[in-house]
Amino acid sequence: MGRLLLRRLVATIPVLLLVTAGVFALIHLTPGDPIDAMMAESVDDTVKRELRRDLGLDRPLYLQYATWMGRLLQGDLGRSIRNREPVIENVGRRIKPSLQLAGLAMGIALLVATPIGILSAARRNSAVDRVGTSFALFGICMPNFLIALILIFVFGVKLRWLPISGYVDPLEEPLDGLRSLTLPAITLGLALAAVITRTLRSSMLEALSEDYIRTARAKGLSDGAVVRRHALKNALIPVVTVIGLQLGTLIGGAVITEYVFALPGVGRLVVDAVFARDYPLVQGVVLLIAVGFILSNLVVDLLYGWIDPRIRHR
Amino acid sequence: MAGSTRGSGIAEPARWGTLRRAAAARLAPFGAAVLLLAVLGAVFAPVVSPHDPLKQDLDRALARPGRAHLLGTDNVGRDVLSRVIWGTRVSLVAGFGSVAIAMVAGGLLGLLAGYAGGRVDGLVMRLMDAVLSFPPLVLALALGAVLGAGLTGVVIALGVVYTPTFARLMRGQVLTITAREYVDAARALGAPGWRIAWAHVLPNATAPIVVQASLSVAFAILAEASLSFLGLGIQPPAASWGSMINAGRGYLQQAPWIVFGPGAALFVTVVGLNFVGDAVRDALDPRLRV
Amino acid sequence: MAAIRSGSTPQAVSRRRFLHAALVSGPLAPAALLAPRGVRHAWAQEAPKKGGTLRVGFYIEAATMDPHLSGSKIDRQVYHNIYEPLVVLDANLGVKPGLAESWQQPDAKTLVFKLRRGVKFHDGTDFNAEAVKFNFNRMKTEPKSVRKGEVASIDTVDVVDPYTVRLNLKRPDAALLATLTDRAGMMVSPKTAQERGAELERNAKGAGTGPFVFVEWVKDDHLLIRRNDAYWNKQGGPYLEQVRYRPIPDDTVKLQSLQAGEIQVMDYVQPRDVAAVKADKNVVVVDVPSLADFAYQLNHTKPPFDIKALRQAVAYSLDLEQIVKGVWLNVGVPANGPIPPTSWAYDRSIPFIKRDLAKARAKLAEGGKPGGFTFTMTTNNIPINVQEAEVMQAQLAEAGITMKIKLVDAGTLISDGNARNFEMISFQWSGRPDPDGNTYQFFHTTPGTSLNWSGISNPQMDALLDKSREISSQAERKKLFSQLTRLLQDELPMVFIVHPIEPKAFSPRVQNYDPIPDGMMRFKDVWLK
Repeated sequence: MGRLLLRRLVATIPVLLLVTAGVFALIHLTPGDPIDAMMAESVDDTVKRELRRDLGLDRPLYLQYATWMGRLLQGDLGRSIRNREPVIENVGRRIKPSLQLAGLAMGIALLVATPIGILSAARRNSAVDRVGTSFALFGICMPNFLIALILIFVFGVKLRWLPISGYVDPLEEPLDGLRSLTLPAITLGLALAAVITRTLRSSMLEALSEDYIRTARAKGLSDGAVVRRHALKNALIPVVTVIGLQLGTLIGGAVITEYVFALPGVGRLVVDAVFARDYPLVQGVVLLIAVGFILSNLVVDLLYGWIDPRIRHR
Repeated sequence: MAGSTRGSGIAEPARWGTLRRAAAARLAPFGAAVLLLAVLGAVFAPVVSPHDPLKQDLDRALARPGRAHLLGTDNVGRDVLSRVIWGTRVSLVAGFGSVAIAMVAGGLLGLLAGYAGGRVDGLVMRLMDAVLSFPPLVLALALGAVLGAGLTGVVIALGVVYTPTFARLMRGQVLTITAREYVDAARALGAPGWRIAWAHVLPNATAPIVVQASLSVAFAILAEASLSFLGLGIQPPAASWGSMINAGRGYLQQAPWIVFGPGAALFVTVVGLNFVGDAVRDALDPRLRV
Repeated sequence: MAAIRSGSTPQAVSRRRFLHAALVSGPLAPAALLAPRGVRHAWAQEAPKKGGTLRVGFYIEAATMDPHLSGSKIDRQVYHNIYEPLVVLDANLGVKPGLAESWQQPDAKTLVFKLRRGVKFHDGTDFNAEAVKFNFNRMKTEPKSVRKGEVASIDTVDVVDPYTVRLNLKRPDAALLATLTDRAGMMVSPKTAQERGAELERNAKGAGTGPFVFVEWVKDDHLLIRRNDAYWNKQGGPYLEQVRYRPIPDDTVKLQSLQAGEIQVMDYVQPRDVAAVKADKNVVVVDVPSLADFAYQLNHTKPPFDIKALRQAVAYSLDLEQIVKGVWLNVGVPANGPIPPTSWAYDRSIPFIKRDLAKARAKLAEGGKPGGFTFTMTTNNIPINVQEAEVMQAQLAEAGITMKIKLVDAGTLISDGNARNFEMISFQWSGRPDPDGNTYQFFHTTPGTSLNWSGISNPQMDALLDKSREISSQAERKKLFSQLTRLLQDELPMVFIVHPIEPKAFSPRVQNYDPIPDGMMRFKDVWLK
């Protein structure tokens, strides 16, 4: 197991190298530069030129890339051009809300999707199944900013039950914090729930149609026991995969939700940085998100191998 | 994806049989109908639209849905229904265009990787992994900014984002199919690589690719809407459903039809595409047939 | 204004209704904007109460707390509460004493300030002439200083005595006083600036002299300032215990936050929301005519707009009234030039360019394109800009001119503008109190990269602009600016569209907001019911 882990980790290095090259090239190719964006209302050309020189932005691209990579290998992700704070600090500040949002959204999604997915599969073609499948479809097919807008309108403005913008840390103020994260978590969670419901349902159906299930039923085991004892365990494997993959994408992928609800998360950080051409910040955050994604994939793969012994010894 | 690995247990997929089974799936006709409607609407937009989608009438801005304007008018007095119909073109081009790019690029890459194996396989798949681990919205945004504003930029950007999915899928199919006996037999008989690819691999790989494509088109259309939200846009005055929703969201309280017209169109089309995709996927594996 | 509150007299109500009618429906009479005092909202007539936390929502958060390094408009909003400039603006854009009690100009190149005594910085040190000298030097020499251009005309600063300071100018600069009402005149404590160094950008504790003291700034979350009980000005406030600034990027969410009571102040209401918000009893709207001018720069250095007649053809094809009515919903006035109606230099007698399709077609012929021509207009992808672009596109099409719209993000817009990589490009200038700030840097011949994106170089214009800086008589300068405006309408480095109004929205609990046309929200005398 340890050797497998090491091998997998080493295998991620070329991928990460490609990501660094890709993000560097991409952000430097976008028109415009951070100094112009920062000092839009200033006329002073000399100040701008000095700032550019100060930041090394006037040097040839390959040199800038080499410098960045050099610092990277020493563990230095550089500093944001706009607020001159280390990239790590910028991310550190924003990771908490993102993680909390992702966790809450996943929690809501599981809470909703698990019973619906199982029931839909267990009672195939019944009313429950129809409702469940429709719900899943709805969640996948609605653009999430539309969901967000409707939620804000209903719960925030009309009913005034929940706050519609801003972030309160649930670790500091549990009640207010949870309330501030509820609407965004529901927005994200709905789409997640839909995906998980579908996966769970289809993998449950598959598991339930296995021969040994028919045997168990023939032996007189009740439906509930069949589901619980046999089908569920096997059905969980693809679901765990999906959950892991989704979690991996949630951190950097909740951009729209963060925008609409004014949450200071990582998604918004990186998109704002792209708009402001804040090169070090974009490069650093994209790299970190990529690392997070790769690691979560790795964890899922290992988990998968652990759950399903057939895959373990490869 | 849970069904696809099982599906490959079938010896020789009968293509017509697959289609027949797909058609028999309960919701497939609805999905196909929606798709057909969308395509027809897009193609015949000039004929079908009740009004000119670009004609502004500032005196009649934000008019409620009524006889003259079935879905009301927007903030500069344009007929929402006509804009939704014309928007079908843009959304479908964005959806199908980006998936087409992804299918071709990803398919070729996957074919190459699966067939060539070894170092080439490693390099290609690493590249795909790199693209996959890039946060997709950021990738699309940055690519769009580099490629320049407009529909082309969006289509290419989304195409790049979806390429790894198809590459992986194709590669998996290649690996599975080339491991089968009849391919070995073909090889033993001396058939050249490309011929095997053409005659055996591709036909058998198409089904899962088609399933993935139909689902990806749905996601691409939704992704384009998200990109409009963030400001990467179709150039006005052309409008996609996504940019219409974005432009109309400030008016949600006063004139919700501006958002719900294109929103409903978006939703129904995406649902339809999902039905079609599901139907084909279910048809692949008779055990999962609903 | 239907925000009828208990305690308001019937007369006040009908006056509000009249102002509402004059400002929102129908063509705006510039008179209503010229006398901002007439727009003053009738606040409750009770005694101010101390205490409370005012929650303010802006669309982004501040970028830095160091006024000398600041380049963003939102920073200024906070600065005007914790820092103070030497001189301040009043509602009529007049320059009034701030940290300087009085000033004199013995000659055109000398400015002497007599400073207020007994003022202390929040860190306890005294405000005096040495501090002023330190500040100006810092603005001029600090490597990252963004104020260099604004104080370029200042050569040296002399400390005459502890409370008198003399600025020796390189050249006459009639606009300097007005510039000193903002960041260039804001005084930072030398002790704090030197001790804290670069940290000052994050932490401004002790650095200012204003009615509020910086407390903390939790990035991306909130910025907190609290009442300065040792404030030197004993008249009026400050009353509020604290002010808490929060960034809310989405306009609709920001408005809904206000309506839901999560914030009490909002810096800008979108035109499309104004009518609905004014009808909402839970919100009070104050229209603040701004200093801004929104326009489109035309590139004089390459076709098609290197030909004057074609520029004029575009100007004659646009219907500014329709744009202001249909897109801006009359939250603004059509512009006759870069100088807003709030300014003393505004010339009411010069009409804005009215639509005339016949003249447009004549100009097209004159420019060698009788059948019309095609060009691309670059603009920022925000909803109202897109709307305006689409309306303009339709208007120009009627004259045979085809305008293509290119939507870009802000970074690309600035880059394209600076590189002159455009034919027509959107330009929204937030405005400065002195007309020089709305004109010189855009229209004067400037080598290299500058805000003169159009590339215009007109000797007559240059002469007018230079002269306007040298003369100090407002009446004389006004004549020069009138001449300039007429010349601008002819040469068209920019097509001017609108002078927007900035409606600010408040919870009904907020009292006594004094709207100054620079749009800055000063909370000194504000209190919460």
